[in-house]
Amino acid sequence: MTTQITSARPASSATTVGRPGFAWALPAALFFALFAIVPLIMVAVLSFMSWDGISPPRFTGTDNWSRLLDDPVMLKSIWLTLLLTALGVLLQTPLSIVLGVWAAGHQRNRAVLSVIYFIPLLLSATAVSVLWRALLDPNFGIPADAAWLFGDGNLFGEQATAIGVLAFVSTWQFTPFHTLIYQGAARAIPQVLYQAAEIDGAGRYRQFFHITLPQLRNAMITSMILMIVGGLTTFETVLILTQGGPGTDTTISAYYMYDKAFKGFDYGTGSAIALALVVASTIISLIVVRVSGYDKMRGSAEGVS
Amino acid sequence: MKTRARLPRLVATGATLALALSLSACGDGDGGASGDDGKIHVLVYGDATNKVEKQLVDTFNKTSDVKVVLDTIPGADYQQKLQTIINTPQAPDVFFNWGGGSIKPFVKAGLLLPLDDFIKKNPDLENKFLPSVFNNAVVDGKPYGVPMRGTQPVLLFHNKKVLDEAGVEPPKTWDELLDAVGKLKDEGVTPIALGGGDVWPTQMWFQYLYDRIAGPELFQKALGGDKSAWESPDSKKALDMIRELVDTGAFGKNYDSVKYTNGGSVQLVAAGKAGFELMGSWYYSQQLTDHPEFAEKDLGYTAFPAVEGGKGDQANVAGNTNNYYSVMKKTKHPEAVAEFLKLMYSDQFVKAQMDIGNLPTTTNTDKFIETSGTPEYSRFQYDLVADAPSFQLSWDQAYPQKASSDMHKAVQQFFNGQLDTDGFIKAMQALPTE
Amino acid sequence: MRRRPNYLAGAGSLLWLFLVGLPLYVMLAATLRTRQDYAENGPVSLPDSFTLDNYTRAFDSGFGQYFFNTLVVTACVIGIVLLLVPPLAYAIVRSRGRTTSAIFRLFLLGLAIPAQAVIVPMFYLISEAGLYDNLLGVILPTAAFCLPMSALILSGAMRDISPELYEAMAMDGATPRRMFFQLVVPLSRGGLSTIVVFSALQAWNGFLFPLVLTQSDSTKVVTLGLYNFQTAHGIDIPGLLGAVVLSMVPILLVYLFARRALVQGLMGVGGK
Repeated sequence: MTTQITSARPASSATTVGRPGFAWALPAALFFALFAIVPLIMVAVLSFMSWDGISPPRFTGTDNWSRLLDDPVMLKSIWLTLLLTALGVLLQTPLSIVLGVWAAGHQRNRAVLSVIYFIPLLLSATAVSVLWRALLDPNFGIPADAAWLFGDGNLFGEQATAIGVLAFVSTWQFTPFHTLIYQGAARAIPQVLYQAAEIDGAGRYRQFFHITLPQLRNAMITSMILMIVGGLTTFETVLILTQGGPGTDTTISAYYMYDKAFKGFDYGTGSAIALALVVASTIISLIVVRVSGYDKMRGSAEGVS
Repeated sequence: MKTRARLPRLVATGATLALALSLSACGDGDGGASGDDGKIHVLVYGDATNKVEKQLVDTFNKTSDVKVVLDTIPGADYQQKLQTIINTPQAPDVFFNWGGGSIKPFVKAGLLLPLDDFIKKNPDLENKFLPSVFNNAVVDGKPYGVPMRGTQPVLLFHNKKVLDEAGVEPPKTWDELLDAVGKLKDEGVTPIALGGGDVWPTQMWFQYLYDRIAGPELFQKALGGDKSAWESPDSKKALDMIRELVDTGAFGKNYDSVKYTNGGSVQLVAAGKAGFELMGSWYYSQQLTDHPEFAEKDLGYTAFPAVEGGKGDQANVAGNTNNYYSVMKKTKHPEAVAEFLKLMYSDQFVKAQMDIGNLPTTTNTDKFIETSGTPEYSRFQYDLVADAPSFQLSWDQAYPQKASSDMHKAVQQFFNGQLDTDGFIKAMQALPTE
Repeated sequence: MRRRPNYLAGAGSLLWLFLVGLPLYVMLAATLRTRQDYAENGPVSLPDSFTLDNYTRAFDSGFGQYFFNTLVVTACVIGIVLLLVPPLAYAIVRSRGRTTSAIFRLFLLGLAIPAQAVIVPMFYLISEAGLYDNLLGVILPTAAFCLPMSALILSGAMRDISPELYEAMAMDGATPRRMFFQLVVPLSRGGLSTIVVFSALQAWNGFLFPLVLTQSDSTKVVTLGLYNFQTAHGIDIPGLLGAVVLSMVPILLVYLFARRALVQGLMGVGGK
């Protein structure tokens, strides 16, 4: 009896005693601030200056910014970045969901195949890009043997196909990661839901669309945030696979930043682009998080028990 | 129960961290290039020739009190890296470069040591090298670099068998080339292999055509800041000729997806699917490594064809004149550096370079040609370079580094039709010349 | 419960197997062929030769040292992440304070910062700190950039710990510290394994930081070593891929060991 009385009062003591203070989060925050935030601030400052790495930096105000706004390559790069990101999300999401749900099943062969599917993620961007560039050589790679599919094989010489290759390679490399997220989430779906649906006579596809997908909501949000941010900051693949070409046809903003800063030795403009990228992806992440209520960390297990 | 399992793990993590920190501390002692550690740091482009560079360093270190440490940076990022560190304590004492525009900004910033003092004390440091090559590292009248590798003129290579089957002779003039292209197309092969995916092979065509039609003066003028050079009738003529060549299908259709750097275009020629390839002289040893049977029997080479009515001397050569060692003003051991540089015209150097297929540009190279691995080829190259009135440095090296990205874009876009003649001219005019 | 075989899913997974399997096969096959064979016949053809030369070539060019360096970097990055992230995630999930909430937002936003955007100031920071060309100069920034994702993953995993368990411990008079070590850490093993694998991947395949922040051979990591294989004049795809395969093996082993925990860990990210 006494125990029940104590627990009946949502012990104010329990609320204040049991919780960690922000001191727990401080070390990580400070470390991160030093190595990520401080450089970011420096980048912001640098975006208002002109510097080539040899002579000292000169303050030039909004010069870099106004030049960027007039630069057709910059505008093109923004459009390309959005396009590639959207393509990535559209390609990877259904694929990862299907593969993730499939992999959640407990059959033995699925476990073995899952290992194989995971390997692309383990490879570095250099490895992946070198491999695919060799595989897609128009004269000696796959396109040579499959002209019915690839035409004259000029995949890297046309904008549309170059973008397609980039989207494909990113998908190839990162789908395993998102598959894993969905696999974990799918495993966590309580079987009772499916059993109840069976009793009600729902077929496989209805079960998928009315049970599986809604239960994967949180996973989808996480996965999409990661895909969007990843898409906005994709860089190594472009660097090694197409170098922004042909011409400037696959020059996404992140690559343009590198091009300006490290090839053109115009660190001021490069920093401006970098800052713009960070701001853009921050805003997008904020929107997605706010709209989905992610930061309130709602569970999707309501109504189950 | 589970807590017990946690503790050892944390301890293990902590231990690893501590161990790593101490290891890194060790690394700091001998790895760092910062500050003065009593050694000379020589920075080179990372590739197969490093063997020779290491050899020379070892030889030098045997007799010198001040030791040399050789640092390499992977080729693709060499220039970026160099520019990042050149004005910091991490800068090397001596570094590899391409002369011309690759060192001009550094000279202007007052970072490089003019070598005329070294040369006064030791005139061999200048006169043991072929003049056309040595002059490429002269900026504003002062020498800033000593050649340290081999010369790399661009030659027109061909597959003898493919040409024979099409009834084509290696072309000596531009018209003969166009004719050959037509015949090769009829045979169903790609007339000219091109690694368009890398863009710099495409650029080689511009280099030669401009030189043949207008002579080297046009480019020199443009480099000097005179933008009207690009608009001149000669320039437009060169562009028209390039356009004509591309439009006849000489390069096939998918050249932008083919790369030289992954062996794509090399294989095209070796497998008999293409007739020609315009490439630097390293092409020969590349083919020898990848396709030895083909290279030994059927690989042919000529100089770039002459263009009738062209103002340029038809014996001119374009390509990479050589690579150079330049010296930083702030080096703490200039005498040791001067001694080190002497090795660059030594017999040992010449022999070692030739053993790996490079052709040095020293006056004593002639002696060793007969004993090199590829005597005929070396003789051809050497005579070509020695007799050339002018040696045009690759455009992306002649211009300052920061122009190369935009230059490549313009080159690629003109070739595949995204830019027309006027567009190309404008793009080139927009390039920074210092 | 009847289980009709799912043909659609089966077909889909077969297609994906082909798309993944073919390149992997090509890669492995290329490493076991001679350079001439590869150059003559192209990547997709059946091998005509067998050799282990490509692997020995990789070792000859110094991969032993690169492997060791990469191992050190990876171990240290994992160490730092394991030290900093669990307390952080614990605070994110359990603390009601506004500071912690702000810190969480900070890390969420941190996800959006690409490493290459801050690389130039990073170079100067590291160089001023005297850590240039030193493995520590690579370890610290790499670890810092692992933090946002790890925080996201681990806090997701920790969210699953039911509040009743905390309350039960609170009634026993437990301090937050005790709850952390006795409840939270043991129950988030899945999440911990996930962030270990994730950070290990970042560190092992990290490229940009080592490229800009190291210089000499003694501090080179494997990714830089791979890059060395690619130069304008020396094309050696089988050798390059041999080095790639070698570089992949350790991380593959880590993955195989941590697989089960990995799936469990990411379960929490998806949310229940």
